[in-house]
Amino acid sequence: MNIHKECIAMLLAGGQGSRLLVLTEKTAKPAVPFGGKYRIIDFPISNCVHSGIDTVGILTQYQPLELNDYIGNGQPWGLNRNRGGVHVLPPYAQIDKSEWYSGTANAIYQNIPFIERYNPEHVLILSGDHIYKMDYSLMLDAHKQNNAECTIAVRNVPIDEASRFGIMTADPDGRITKFEEKPKKPESTLASMGVYIFKWDALRRYLCEDEANPESQNDFGKNIIPTMLADQRPLYAYHFDSYWKDVGTIESLWEANMDLLNLTDAIDLRDPDFRIYSRNEANPSSYISAESTIINSNISEGCDIYGHVENSIISTGCTVEAGAVIDNSVLMPGARVCAGARVSYAIIGEGAVVAADSSVGEAPEICGDGWGIAVLGREKNTQVGEKLPAAFVR
Amino acid sequence: MMVSNRMAGIVFSNMYDECFGELTKIRTAASIPFGGRYRQIDFTLSNMTNAGVSRIGVVTKYNYQSLMDHIGNAQEWDLNNKDGGLVFLPPFGSGKSDVYRGKLEALSNALSFLARCPEDYVVLSDANILCNIDLKKVLADHISSACDITVVAVRAAEADGAIHSLVMDAEGDRVDSILTNYPAVAGQAIGLGMYILSRQFLLGIVRRYVAAGRTHLEADFLQRGFNNGSLSVNLWEHKGEVLFNLDIPSYFRNNFRLTERELRADLFNPDRPIYTKVRDEVPTLYGRGSSVKECTVADGCVLEGAAENSVLFRSVQVAQGAKVSHSIIMQNCRIDPGAVVENCILDKDVHVTAGTHLLGSRNNPMIVRKGETV
Repeated sequence: MNIHKECIAMLLAGGQGSRLLVLTEKTAKPAVPFGGKYRIIDFPISNCVHSGIDTVGILTQYQPLELNDYIGNGQPWGLNRNRGGVHVLPPYAQIDKSEWYSGTANAIYQNIPFIERYNPEHVLILSGDHIYKMDYSLMLDAHKQNNAECTIAVRNVPIDEASRFGIMTADPDGRITKFEEKPKKPESTLASMGVYIFKWDALRRYLCEDEANPESQNDFGKNIIPTMLADQRPLYAYHFDSYWKDVGTIESLWEANMDLLNLTDAIDLRDPDFRIYSRNEANPSSYISAESTIINSNISEGCDIYGHVENSIISTGCTVEAGAVIDNSVLMPGARVCAGARVSYAIIGEGAVVAADSSVGEAPEICGDGWGIAVLGREKNTQVGEKLPAAFVR
Repeated sequence: MMVSNRMAGIVFSNMYDECFGELTKIRTAASIPFGGRYRQIDFTLSNMTNAGVSRIGVVTKYNYQSLMDHIGNAQEWDLNNKDGGLVFLPPFGSGKSDVYRGKLEALSNALSFLARCPEDYVVLSDANILCNIDLKKVLADHISSACDITVVAVRAAEADGAIHSLVMDAEGDRVDSILTNYPAVAGQAIGLGMYILSRQFLLGIVRRYVAAGRTHLEADFLQRGFNNGSLSVNLWEHKGEVLFNLDIPSYFRNNFRLTERELRADLFNPDRPIYTKVRDEVPTLYGRGSSVKECTVADGCVLEGAAENSVLFRSVQVAQGAKVSHSIIMQNCRIDPGAVVENCILDKDVHVTAGTHLLGSRNNPMIVRKGETV
């Protein structure tokens, strides 16, 4: 079979997401629920589909089971294709060796045979921990126009956050002149979004060289890109200024959820031409009782709401019992908040139960110093009457 | 292939079209939207597939585009399988567009489907009587009863005046008498339009009865056969909730019953989910000034105004200052500021412009046709 794809995508979904604490105890970060009925990975996958990319490899390693189940045959995203489609790619044993993915570049290196099956001109590298809607085909156009070997999607970040990112300097034409991964003293605020397009033949060459170098950490930001830059290969920056949020921490995950309520124009999930697809469970419509009050909140299907909900995201299959009060919080799928309980500035994990008259989290103005989002992990619960303060994580 | 003790399914999609007036102008009774995100047939199909039925024929006669669109390749019900799947059984170009005279006549369209099925048994079902039932248990009971046919029924708690196509006097699972098109009184068993019988037996019945000009399953076959002693009838009493959508008033009432906690828990038993077509909708947004009370709400709505005692389907918009009460608002309806909608059924894609008042009555809801602007 003679397949030739212009561009295929490889999605790095292997990260442990340790900064998401209990939320990633049993699941990979990209499978963490988001926005009421999505999971984080729905965003890059849906972006691919809307960008005309029909072949997506998903590289998994940490807690892959749930992600495998979730992706399945790719049908919810229209990626159940005869040629291409979505493929989950865990590390696998080979005749002479078997090894985990040692770094982002090594993960791609180990899947060179997968990529070669599609004989692509370009390969799009994505990560599974960002919330954004992006048409990668526009970036690919720029990449081709510049005749670049690598194009990096970039955006300006506040200077005090810059040391968390790959930071680069580019000349007026967009050609990258300097790149530093997580610099201690950033020289610019132009940050990598972790979205790269490579010419495949160039990338393959550098992956093989990198693999042969025992000193390398096999990482795109630390090794591949600096090496290409040192070799004066054509690397270009592609500016993306629309909504984009790293959701690698509890605070940022909570903020991104709140953005759905407060920045509805910035991250418009309702745009019929650019829907975020997800795997849907068979939930009935939600029931909103006579005694409930709901203010500025998103409520998904399969919920029973008897209490008060304000500025919150209530995911599929949740129950909010009578007298419960929820504000500025995220309930992940199947969570239950029992009668008289209070949830404030908190994330309640999948299937977790906030027992009657207990509380999770506090508003910053009440707590003062040391405030943070409280988290009740997946399938965890509080005791009746128990108070979990701000920033508490169980 | 192991097919003994398995059932194929037959669903009648058009049988009660004439009972639903405006709502079936553009669709079959089976595809009438129900409960915010379902079509009536979803309950029937899910009951069947949850019991392991993997081969279903849907008997249709006309107006079935919306039904085909809804069912698609039937993957939501796991019916896009190699072993069976879902097939539509339209008439062989008869040119006649009137309703079937009865289910036996309708089944004559399904003869070749039935003849090809490897399953030993067939479950027949209407699509307008909604419940969540474990048909595996019914099949096991049917087999152990050694009767010719098993009729699924529910005990009437009180006489509600509704005319049912099958009512039985029965002691336990023993049927004493069969009445057709009759208003049940308390204690009588009301048929749910759901039957299990052997496939070979059914094939013979359909061929013979239709040839003899007898077309009604309940009156010509069940009642007559029972009365002359040629047919043994087993009764399976369904203990769960049942919604009889027999006409527009009962359909209207039953939609609002989804606010009853026990009924919801039974009808949407998570062990036997009710599947429907997936739409990639966003969660419903309840705005700062919204007031939503005692409602059943699907995904994708934007609610800025007031809604009470209503069923809001997917992607309904209720603007600030609009008020919806005791109404069924189907998919994609838009209700502008200051509009009042009370005791109405708004079919899909209806636009109620600013300040418009639409007032029906409890027993005679106002129906606005699909796509209209008022």
